Amino acid sequence: MAMGYAGKFLLVNLSDNSCTDFTIVDADLEKYIGGSCLAAKIYFDKYPLDADPLSKDNPLMIMTGPMVGSGFPGTSRFSICAKAPQTGIWGESACGGTFGPELKRAGYDGIVFEGAADKPAYLSILDGEAKINDASHLWGKDIYEVTDLLKAAGKSIKVLAIGAAGENLVQIAAIGNDKGHFSGRTGLGAVMGAKKLKAVIVKGSAKTDKSDEDRYKAAFKTAVAEVKDSALAEGLHMMGSDANMDLGMVTGDVPIKNWTVGQDFDLSFNLSGPTMREKYLTKAHACANCPVACKRVVKVDDGPFRTEEGPGPEYETCGTFGTMLMNPDLSAVIKANELCNKYGMDTISCGSAIALAMELYEKGTLSTDDTDGLDLSWGNMEAVMTLIKKMAYREGFGDLLADGAVKAAKKIGGDAIDYVVHVKGLEAPMHDPRGFHGMGLAYMMSNRGACHLQHAVLATEQGMASWPQLFDMKDDYDGTTSVDKAALVYNSENYGILGNSLAICHYLVDILKPETILEAFNAITGFNLTKDDLLKSGMRDWTLKRGFNNLLGITAKDDKLPKKLLTALEDGGAAGSVPDVELLLSEYYAIRGLDDRGFPKKEKLDELGLTELKERLYQ
Amino acid sequence: MGVPALTQEWMDAYKAAIVADPEYKTIAKDWEGSVALVCLADPSKGIPETVYLFQDYWHGDVGEFVVCDKEKAESAKFVMTGEYSRWKQIARKELDATKALLQGKLKMKGDLPYVVRNIKTVNKVIDILGTFETIWPDEV
Repeated sequence: MAMGYAGKFLLVNLSDNSCTDFTIVDADLEKYIGGSCLAAKIYFDKYPLDADPLSKDNPLMIMTGPMVGSGFPGTSRFSICAKAPQTGIWGESACGGTFGPELKRAGYDGIVFEGAADKPAYLSILDGEAKINDASHLWGKDIYEVTDLLKAAGKSIKVLAIGAAGENLVQIAAIGNDKGHFSGRTGLGAVMGAKKLKAVIVKGSAKTDKSDEDRYKAAFKTAVAEVKDSALAEGLHMMGSDANMDLGMVTGDVPIKNWTVGQDFDLSFNLSGPTMREKYLTKAHACANCPVACKRVVKVDDGPFRTEEGPGPEYETCGTFGTMLMNPDLSAVIKANELCNKYGMDTISCGSAIALAMELYEKGTLSTDDTDGLDLSWGNMEAVMTLIKKMAYREGFGDLLADGAVKAAKKIGGDAIDYVVHVKGLEAPMHDPRGFHGMGLAYMMSNRGACHLQHAVLATEQGMASWPQLFDMKDDYDGTTSVDKAALVYNSENYGILGNSLAICHYLVDILKPETILEAFNAITGFNLTKDDLLKSGMRDWTLKRGFNNLLGITAKDDKLPKKLLTALEDGGAAGSVPDVELLLSEYYAIRGLDDRGFPKKEKLDELGLTELKERLYQ
Repeated sequence: MGVPALTQEWMDAYKAAIVADPEYKTIAKDWEGSVALVCLADPSKGIPETVYLFQDYWHGDVGEFVVCDKEKAESAKFVMTGEYSRWKQIARKELDATKALLQGKLKMKGDLPYVVRNIKTVNKVIDILGTFETIWPDEV
């Protein structure tokens, strides 16, 4: 039995109201590790890929990894996976917080939900006993209310829940853990909603054994010292992820006015991590066992956007509800974040859809006749607050935006799609590939659509991390060139994607030395993988998900950047620069072992031991 | 003809370049406080002892710029410490100073949010560092 694992998974069939334990053989655990990689393997082996994402045939998986619950820095994570409502391809969204370690303590490495309940339900796993419960009294309540109600039975209970957006099958719906941590991307909250699954609660006290406790303790000590010595960790602790706002404004990383403006230092000053710290921060908060504590707890005491004390916005949210909307008021960003948290909506997709609407409103494509009378002038945050609620409840114009910017643009018609920045249906996060061409390639090749968290490109290309001991890389990359980026992206994918299979926070992946993470991983599991084994595991993870998407129709023609990202900005750190897509893709395809169709080549699949995928791709 | 790196002559040249820069005063108008640069000893590169440099900046004006002792350097509002090879990479624009800091190749004591807030000033001062010719001791 592989160590570090709880040793069993829970299969919940919501259609027949049953809960059954199952196991996965050690060989597969060593090969696929855990998190979203193991979820992809389970999905691929057992479920029909052509399922409608909102049907009962689409399983929803909540997966931890062998390091989760160990106490090692950053291992509070878990991944929620399914075929994604927003994109129709592989969907996953990782989350920190408290749920992952508690699920392990409750006795499970993961949960697979099949079917759909007839009426609202929630799953409880309390001290090893799994039970499906009636959630009629919880349906209709927001995530904060549900969390408080379910925690009333015991403070140590950890809650995962959806809000109005998930209930209303909004395809950008998120899932919230204990109010402050969210699986936001690709609309997996709607999969929960379609299954009538309002919440999952867990509590337990089981301990997961490690293969070599002394070896682990030494690795843990090294990790804590590395965190203490890290300027990145210090910056994240003091300013949260929004430390990037000031820095990114200089380098051309921050999208402004729906990706049309290159620089605005007044915006970054007002929306930055230091400003949040000075004006609204009440305390820093940590996910379970994290010495970094990058999470913000904030409160807006006065003005039109007053909030409760609660989770503060990440950098991405300060982008989508700040710079993207030409909104300089950080209190409005905090309020928008609070509303998205309560309704359970991804802040990147929500803000991006509203940015699209504002640009089309400015152009005259949309008017107040279309927007239920809302004045969608840039920066009108009163209207934004109204619109967020309308989206969550699919009311009027909100219904048009509720499934994200791409589907909204298609409904609007004309050239509206040219105003959306997305890859494969997922709106891009707040990192501009015109400032960092490698990120453009990473967006094109990410298996859930445009994403900054399926790899470590953000860290390596922007210089937050340097791992010459892991693969050949320079100390400093020029963001605005496409030369030498394909290999950087390829290697940063193979390593960074492990964050989602080991279930360790991407910031800790950036902060800690790879050898420290590997040492802890081996001490916990006893697998004794080498760094090459680990990178190969990352390659397998990427390739399995790519094959999954190929089987759903994704080909080379889908690996592309939208028009806006191929249009140079006039000012700012990325002025005049656009990624050389042809160079990036041609070099990358060769390194990654993809054929002209964008399929993994047979020899690559053999090398990675993905025999069944080969059979299905080449049958 | 350049000036020898990490000497008083070099500090004078650096100060003169900052003062002469047409954009510096505006960009640095909000900056308050002194900065110490500490170059760790590396005898193999011609740096037999750790070098301490003190620079005083105030709202776009430039004050004292001196080679100093450890005590004075440590009195600065910000203290940046690194190996000789890293400082040389930074001066030659082969390594961005912010990246060096995040990668642990430079260490900083001081108010990090203040530096982040004023990153344009920091970048400007480092840009100027590369504008005058420097003689590096390991290349003599």
